[in-house]
Amino acid sequence: MKRLLDHASLLLLALAVLVFGLMEPRFWSWNNLTNLLTQSSSAMVAATGMTFVLLTAGVDLSLGAIMFLCAAVAGKLALAGHPVGLCVAAMLVCGAMCGAVNASAIVWLRVLPFVVTLATLYLGRGLALSVTETRAMNLPEAFLTFGRPACAIAIAAAVVIAAEVTLRVTVYGRHLYALGAGRRIAEYAGLPARRLTFSVYVVCGACAGLAALLTLGQLGAVSPKFGENREFTAIAAAVLGGTSLFGGRGGVFPGAVLGALLMQSIESGLVMVNADPYLYPMIMAAAIFAAVLLDARRRATQDGHYRE
Amino acid sequence: MTEHAAKSSVRTLRVPENYRGLVACAILFGVMAILTRDVAAAGNLRSIGSSVVPLFLLALGQMTVMISGGIDLSVTGTMALVSVAGAVVMRETGSAFAGVTAMLTAGAGVGMLNGGAVAWLRLPPFMVTLTSQMFLSGMAVWAVQSKNIGGLPAGFMGLGKEVPIAAGAAVVCGIVGHLLLRRSVWGRQLFAAGFNAETARFSGLPVPWVRIRSYVASGLLAAVAAVILTARLETGSPVLGQRMLLDVIGAAVLGGVSLRGGRGHVLWVLGGALFFAILDNALNLLGLSHFRIMMVKGGVILAAAALDAWRIKAR
Repeated sequence: MKRLLDHASLLLLALAVLVFGLMEPRFWSWNNLTNLLTQSSSAMVAATGMTFVLLTAGVDLSLGAIMFLCAAVAGKLALAGHPVGLCVAAMLVCGAMCGAVNASAIVWLRVLPFVVTLATLYLGRGLALSVTETRAMNLPEAFLTFGRPACAIAIAAAVVIAAEVTLRVTVYGRHLYALGAGRRIAEYAGLPARRLTFSVYVVCGACAGLAALLTLGQLGAVSPKFGENREFTAIAAAVLGGTSLFGGRGGVFPGAVLGALLMQSIESGLVMVNADPYLYPMIMAAAIFAAVLLDARRRATQDGHYRE
Repeated sequence: MTEHAAKSSVRTLRVPENYRGLVACAILFGVMAILTRDVAAAGNLRSIGSSVVPLFLLALGQMTVMISGGIDLSVTGTMALVSVAGAVVMRETGSAFAGVTAMLTAGAGVGMLNGGAVAWLRLPPFMVTLTSQMFLSGMAVWAVQSKNIGGLPAGFMGLGKEVPIAAGAAVVCGIVGHLLLRRSVWGRQLFAAGFNAETARFSGLPVPWVRIRSYVASGLLAAVAAVILTARLETGSPVLGQRMLLDVIGAAVLGGVSLRGGRGHVLWVLGGALFFAILDNALNLLGLSHFRIMMVKGGVILAAAALDAWRIKAR
């Protein structure tokens, strides 16, 4: 049973690929599998950032809003004629700054993470809408380079490897696990709890900026709905991959990668089998609920005792 | 001695805690009335009054859940589904009574599911209710294929036409809610479970049930708000109250209901709801676009939550 729960994301991914493949043979084509990998690159990067936050028992509901804000800023800069390199740098900086705003409220004002990020979700989307003047923007061709399979997959792989190495090998990574497993004990042990908490939201913001870049590469445009609900996909991907909502457990590889692939295969699979579009939100909600339920069951079997 | 005297004299100048929200509303109203005269116009006062009623009902439910230490982010999804379900029942049966009964049952049922997932499966409340928000609003849109449902019975639409009926419903819910919270075992159990679940459990309280009941109360109150709004719109709408979530959470938190459980009062929520109703109305009159208003409200919630955290630290 414990084994089954640990490998749930792999099993569910296999099941999703099998079912969609049987319903629509095109799903199994080489072309589609490459597409799937390319399209999930953005979700992988977002889920990587979310994993850092979840490890400390926090959450970032503003991830989608940060993506939108970064894309809006990049779009404005690009349309003003600035080089692509500058736009990309601006996206990363903007993402990290948004993360720092979240982190300040959480660390200094001591407000619960989900409340802070729920408020900044609205702040961020509102700000981005005022930057774009609620219009859609078409970006220069140059951005589409980031949507090419080789480029997108390479960026996602680089982020995932860097994150995995940071979490597994560095002192910083081990500190994050310790902090998530028990904040008070970590503080007594002398870990810089506030600085660590601050850092994860900045990492998550920067990842959101990069995820926005990868999404822009595929869409080539910023719409007023850009990044909507991406935070849910990221949370679901991370949690399906074994990261706990209660902190201290999980990782980026293979967890978040498989989780992101799973969420993307469900999304693309539904489109390919011509499912009723009105059903999408319900199916996505069910998938996220399954992830949360899985996490709670996993925790129950691992801890073996009841913790309030 | 002198210090003590100074302290108590300051305390007498203080506004009693239960009325602080209402005083804040009066100040906000005054400021807004200076910025734009239209706020105080008779027609506008009526419009503030009619928008505060559903908001108050929703915030009341939100408070019940928050006192128990949870949060209900699914209220707008619940309203949408309830509105659609009620409209379909009324279209089929033509009876307002059957429709309202169906709506209240649906609301309580949704609350039951949320509460069960939180209390029995021990899932984090904010994740449970975020997913049910997504699911319920998706279901409402899917069930009617994104169309509004009209042709409701005249008896039902009368509920929305008459401001006194809606206001009366809000007053009744407020008084009943107050009595339940302050004077009943139900309410004492709710505060106890929210203040310290562990202690409550050791004292023999059925903590899971206490939690589930709070979510059922929230679902029921969302259904009452949905009845009023549906009757006012004269159609069952799958996007009913879509933009109200921020106001509901804001009204409860700004009122002083603690996000960490165990603290709340009906008057606080009334103040919070009135504050957001005035804010929304005045910002609209000032000609701010909807995304600017969204930003202001997000900022107000952040400030209110910071105040809540500060209050807890100071205690």
